[in-house]
Amino acid sequence: MKVRSFVEAWNAFFFAEQSPVPIALFRVVFGMLVIATLLLLRPDWLSWYGAHAWVSLSTMQTLEKGARLNVFVVIPQSDAWIEAFFWVFLASAVLLTVGFLTRLNSLIVFLCLTSIDQRNLYITHGGDTFLRVAAFFLIFAAAGAALSLDRLIRIWRGKEGAKLRPCRPWAQRMIQFELSLVYFVAFCYKAEGLSWVQGTALYYVYNLDELRRFPLPSWFLHPMVLKLGSWSTLLLEFSLGVLIWVEDLRSVLLALGVLLHLFLEYSLNIPMFQWDILSAYILFVDAADLERLWNWIRVHAASHIGEPLQVIYDEASERNCRIVELLTALDIFHRLSFRKMRASGSGSQLLSPKTPEQILVSTPAGPKYGIDRVFALGKAVPLLWPLAVPAIFRRQ
Amino acid sequence: MATDFQRKKRRGLLIARSIAINAFLVFHIVAIPFWCLPISSALVLECREFVRPYFLWTGLFQSWDTFSPNPVSTNNYLEALIIYRDGSTGYWTFPRMQLLGPSERYYRERYRKFEENLLEAEHSGLWPDAARYVARFHSGDSVPPATVMLLVRWSNIIQRDDGTFERTAWDTHVFFSYTVTAEDLK
Repeated sequence: MKVRSFVEAWNAFFFAEQSPVPIALFRVVFGMLVIATLLLLRPDWLSWYGAHAWVSLSTMQTLEKGARLNVFVVIPQSDAWIEAFFWVFLASAVLLTVGFLTRLNSLIVFLCLTSIDQRNLYITHGGDTFLRVAAFFLIFAAAGAALSLDRLIRIWRGKEGAKLRPCRPWAQRMIQFELSLVYFVAFCYKAEGLSWVQGTALYYVYNLDELRRFPLPSWFLHPMVLKLGSWSTLLLEFSLGVLIWVEDLRSVLLALGVLLHLFLEYSLNIPMFQWDILSAYILFVDAADLERLWNWIRVHAASHIGEPLQVIYDEASERNCRIVELLTALDIFHRLSFRKMRASGSGSQLLSPKTPEQILVSTPAGPKYGIDRVFALGKAVPLLWPLAVPAIFRRQ
Repeated sequence: MATDFQRKKRRGLLIARSIAINAFLVFHIVAIPFWCLPISSALVLECREFVRPYFLWTGLFQSWDTFSPNPVSTNNYLEALIIYRDGSTGYWTFPRMQLLGPSERYYRERYRKFEENLLEAEHSGLWPDAARYVARFHSGDSVPPATVMLLVRWSNIIQRDDGTFERTAWDTHVFFSYTVTAEDLK
């Protein structure tokens, strides 16, 4: 009986279908973090990874033995090739962010991330490690199932509707597991240290000149405050490692975790680490909560985005239906309403004969056809704003 | 219409896929904590050795011991003393975070991390490469470098008996000397 309930709990945890929005949102943030990491490294691409880098490839292979996934081993060791590697990496990270060929690009990003770490392990920090491990599990996740170009392409091809399909979250769970493990292991290591137990650890941390970022108020450096800070860090790391799985405590712990990381981002100069870790918090937020948050943003943003429009279309055309599905998926601010011409028995006088494509946009200034219809949609739907740019030039 | 054979084949594939995913999950859920938890029992060490090739290959190796078990209690920075072929000398300092502006400090932080690793005796294999890199910086000088010495300047943070803290005076230690060859400067 117990085995059975364990199997049921296992299946529910890893395989019960859920919204793909959290993992897709994580993918977007993850992609942006990889891009930011690469751009921060940009001035030193060749210093750290080039043919004449601080550490040569042969030294690295001598010091860090064992077979490793490392693209640098197979590409020619010339600066041109290494620059090319980074541009491909950057392009792939951009494509992953927008969700184009998501699976392939998550694989490329993982390969490149692990390669730059393996090429020079002596400059990597915890944030790089977390990105690398998360990238590994992201390959297996349904990261392109929402908020992606892949999804729009699937809708256009008629393989998917505007409504999101739930997915099995097992790969997402592994990234969540990794995050909680990060905290728990950090707690275990710290608990072995006398300075953490005695509460003096943070004094040393905030007296390391090379690590300090922005100035802290003098009261923070008072021994008693630092003592409380040291113990609070232990408590919070344990809680984020273990108690985060308790649903009732999750929101509070995530909020405290965000505060901790923002404080660390302000006070310590450890680039990207806090953001890398915080990105995975998204995976702990329930899809329904994300939706509520988005609805709140949508309602408050609505007044700034212009007039909502009505799209009238002939539902007898399969192409029109696909366009409408596509627009529905793109219309994340709900700026469009759709009216079927035949079902409503209206709009046909507007559609014929001027609009052979049998779809038009009704605006307060009157119906829009052809290219004007595209510009009108571009103005109304934020994700289509680039389409409205030519209209600005045309007016000028 | 799918034939009976096709249906059976599809069902077989689904079962195989399900078994593979579950095996993948169980393996990683057990192996990753075994890899990174600070447990030194014989069983854990053996498991760690068993999964080591896979973890190294995939890049799943990890450690989460920042500032632990105790944070370092030393402020330090690296310099290179360059002795030129005519006997003259010069210093080259690694980028020091505390002397950089906020943005440069952010994107140059990898130098601090590199210095941190460079200072560990177990990474002494890095020292010749680092010295060669510094020598190459100066390959365009009118007199080429003959020797590069890597030195660390350090000051300890110590706790007094009354619980307050103080910093010791700065000290210097040359930890590596490298004779530059003509080949190094190419």
